[in-house]
Amino acid sequence: MDRVADGMKDRVTDEMKDRVTDGMTGEVTEGLSEGFTVWFTGLPSSGKSTLAGLLAEALTGGGLRVETLDGDAVRTVLTKGLGFSREDRDENIRRIAWLSRLLNRHGVVAITAAISPYRAAREQARADIGRFVEVYVNCPLEVAMARDVKGLYARARRGEIAQFTGVSDPYEEPLTPEVVVQTDQESPRESLQKILGHLREAGWVREGMTPVALPTYLVERLQRRWGEAFELRVTDLLSREALGAEEGIQETERAQIMDRLRSLGYLD
Amino acid sequence: MPNLQGLIRRGTFGLLESVVPPITVPAWACMVTGRDPGALGIYGFRNRKDHSYDGLAIAMSHSVSEPTIWDRLGAAGLRSVVVGVPPSFPPKPLRGLMVSCFLTPSAQSEYTWPASLKPDLEARFGEYLFDVTDFRTEDKSALLRRVHAVTAQKFAIARHLAETAAWDFLMFVDMGPDRLHHGFWKYWDRQHIKYQAGNPFEGAFPEYYAFLDRQIGELLGVIGEDTAVLVVSDHGAKRMDGAICVNEWLRREGYLTLREPPRNVQRLEPAMVDWSRTRAWGEGGYYSRIFLNVKGREPQGVVDPAAVEGLRTELIQGLEALGDEAGRPIGTRVYRPEELYPTARGVPPDLIAIFGDLYWRSVGSVGLLQVWTRENDTGPDDANHAQSGMFVAAGLSMPPGQMSGMRLLDIAPLLARHFELDGTH
Repeated sequence: MDRVADGMKDRVTDEMKDRVTDGMTGEVTEGLSEGFTVWFTGLPSSGKSTLAGLLAEALTGGGLRVETLDGDAVRTVLTKGLGFSREDRDENIRRIAWLSRLLNRHGVVAITAAISPYRAAREQARADIGRFVEVYVNCPLEVAMARDVKGLYARARRGEIAQFTGVSDPYEEPLTPEVVVQTDQESPRESLQKILGHLREAGWVREGMTPVALPTYLVERLQRRWGEAFELRVTDLLSREALGAEEGIQETERAQIMDRLRSLGYLD
Repeated sequence: MPNLQGLIRRGTFGLLESVVPPITVPAWACMVTGRDPGALGIYGFRNRKDHSYDGLAIAMSHSVSEPTIWDRLGAAGLRSVVVGVPPSFPPKPLRGLMVSCFLTPSAQSEYTWPASLKPDLEARFGEYLFDVTDFRTEDKSALLRRVHAVTAQKFAIARHLAETAAWDFLMFVDMGPDRLHHGFWKYWDRQHIKYQAGNPFEGAFPEYYAFLDRQIGELLGVIGEDTAVLVVSDHGAKRMDGAICVNEWLRREGYLTLREPPRNVQRLEPAMVDWSRTRAWGEGGYYSRIFLNVKGREPQGVVDPAAVEGLRTELIQGLEALGDEAGRPIGTRVYRPEELYPTARGVPPDLIAIFGDLYWRSVGSVGLLQVWTRENDTGPDDANHAQSGMFVAAGLSMPPGQMSGMRLLDIAPLLARHFELDGTH
């Protein structure tokens, strides 16, 4: 992205223009700032939605744009009408993966929380999305059943719900997930730290990432420009923002400076 | 000044034309970025942040939105030491070290980058002297001592950091000469209206400059002859003949109306103005900025937007025709910002007035009851800024000898070329 330097708009190449997808603003948006997908998988009531919510909160607080695709919510709109046959479940995953990729392409972090029981479908999602972090929310069936957040296990056991994962449908554990959280042994916060730790180690997010949504290309450019001072300088700018002062100084400091400027004859 | 002469002999020298306005903060910001005041949106010490009547924000380090030369050097992996370059408070992190400028509120402020530099400097040099304190004093002997002290400390810090820090680029600004000019010009310049032969400070100028030259010599001794050196100024200096009371003129001509006639000399405050009967008001300083009260733009605007150009032309003609008390022409120039800058970011003034070729300053106060004054409204001041300052460059790839046509805006590109930034060589 060295080409994207000062006077960016003037120097946008045709190749870059071709990659503009929204066609509305004339800004180069695609390919400069990509998101990634955190894919939660696990049994019903294993804790996927809880962790997805916590993660979304943490990443949003870190300045990233985040969208959560919760399995239950998705099924009310995007995949409405699909059932729980293997074919329908795969189609459900395929659509979630498609949307995740789209979000990623526009710089949004997608967090999915769907059971996604079949390994092959998850692997296909991984291949389709590319920027993919699989989090296995591991929780023994009996613990999940005991939690039974939505009362579905009970209904499944009573035969009221067919093809219920863990009861009458299989759940294929991931073989090589990026992160495994043990929700029967860890607190949600501990699990969250584990996930965030991985995201940092793998370079998806940065330690101390400041709460501002900067496009990746800009971060890289500013890092080159400011070197080791990058984090502090961004923090510095943000604290000025937080102070709400255009000058980045406190009122008492302003008065001191004004006195000096008057004394020196610069003002009257 | 043998040390400065030595640099001149082995390098290039000449006048350095400043920007309009040739005022400390915009000028240094322009020099270190290579961008003009319009591109930076920095038109003075304070700039309108919106179109309200009192929305003036002090230009601080954050106001400089374009990369400085040390930002660019840092991006290229090179280290800088930057001391006292306005506007540099609050100090911005950089690859290297920074001590902020005279806009630092006090020695209690965090004025260094990194923060650990502050205790180190204070342990060695005592309290950091951002500037000459109590500048508007009549105790000139004490003032002169303080001017010397500021210069001595600034050079001592520069020598110390030059010796102890790792750097590729070192820049520091000493405000001493400027303070000397403002405080002591009348004692030295026989053409100054207040000059008195045999005054006790006739030697202040030559003595200070000899002292300054010794400081330059000591610093050159530390950095060695293989280091390229630039000596530059953000503006020149000249005697001040008087001041134009811009708001008194605007009142007299019917452009500005106050709610009540001022009882004494006082700063013009927005609350004093009858905005429904005011078309223009001005700021004081070494030059003047004039703002129009435009309908739909200012809170209580009265000037129809369609009438703005006509009004600006009228004001330009009126102010440029205004001579001294005796009606003698003084050479005032009034600019539209768009004449000066290809782009004008932020909220530029509607007009920029340079009175009497800078032999005259602008007084913004009201209650003077006249348009001209020979006394400054903010205390004794004998000098104004001149459009051109000076430069000496030694060790840079430039033709030797005197060079004309150098501009302050050429310095950043010159440095970029020296350091081969952006593929320049």
